[in-house]
Amino acid sequence: MRIIIESPQPDDEDVVIVRCASPDQRLISMLLAYQTAKTELTGYLDDRIVRLNYQDVFYFEANENKVFAYYHSDVYEVKYKLYELEELFGPLDFVRCSKSMIVNMEKIEYLSPLFSGKLEAHLKNGEKVIISRQYVRSLKVKLGIEEVE
Amino acid sequence: MVKEFLISFLHYFVDITTAVLIAAAIFLTVSGQQMESIILWEILLSGLITALPTAALLCFDSKSAKLSWVLWIVHFLVIFSITLLMLNLFGWCSITPKSVILTFFAVVFIYLFTCFVHYLVDKKHTTLMNQQLKKRYSNGEKPEEHKGA
Repeated sequence: MRIIIESPQPDDEDVVIVRCASPDQRLISMLLAYQTAKTELTGYLDDRIVRLNYQDVFYFEANENKVFAYYHSDVYEVKYKLYELEELFGPLDFVRCSKSMIVNMEKIEYLSPLFSGKLEAHLKNGEKVIISRQYVRSLKVKLGIEEVE
Repeated sequence: MVKEFLISFLHYFVDITTAVLIAAAIFLTVSGQQMESIILWEILLSGLITALPTAALLCFDSKSAKLSWVLWIVHFLVIFSITLLMLNLFGWCSITPKSVILTFFAVVFIYLFTCFVHYLVDKKHTTLMNQQLKKRYSNGEKPEEHKGA
């Protein structure tokens, strides 16, 4: 199947048109997931309450019963559990990389192997995060290197 | 999780057994000793016994680098003790200061060999993953937003 993304006219709204003989279950569930996905996030930093754009989040980390969203340089607390964020953003480009962290794949500059079977993700803001052995496979699946069972 | 463990266990079994075979071949060639066929089964058994704690200990999701190092040291000591025990049990040699030192170097060799093989495999996989990351995100580069929307 070919994927064509066109820019709309300046005053037109965004529209997704699927042109196919019979849309399969995978395609329908993808579209439904996109339409129903709740991607709004509220971040808390000192006295400020900020609406966060999930695409700008580098990673989420759980620390001492709190969950934080890491931007390029700012860190916001979010009132979600890590597994809830995984459910919300898992279908997007976020992937669990350890028990306490979910990373945005779009923010990974490159990966390098470590001697312990773990991987090190070098992020675009210069930070490094560790991808645990048991989560390497899910990253491979997300990248289309391994297939979902 | 169980599947990941079993795959990891099988990989370590193959790597450790190969390394023990190389170490045994070097030792037998240098010492000029003759080998009995039973030693092959003993090598396979030693690979199996040492692969088990290796897969179990190294699948822990260590959060900090310090804990990682502690885990590696504990693992090394466990493997070293098991190897000494097996050497005595199989009658390969009696426990003397010389045999302990030689065993130490043999375990270090097997350790480095296994780590190196795993590193090479992981390096190959990360190259593939980096290509996928590049293919997926190089076209959609956007300017970084540093603050919450």
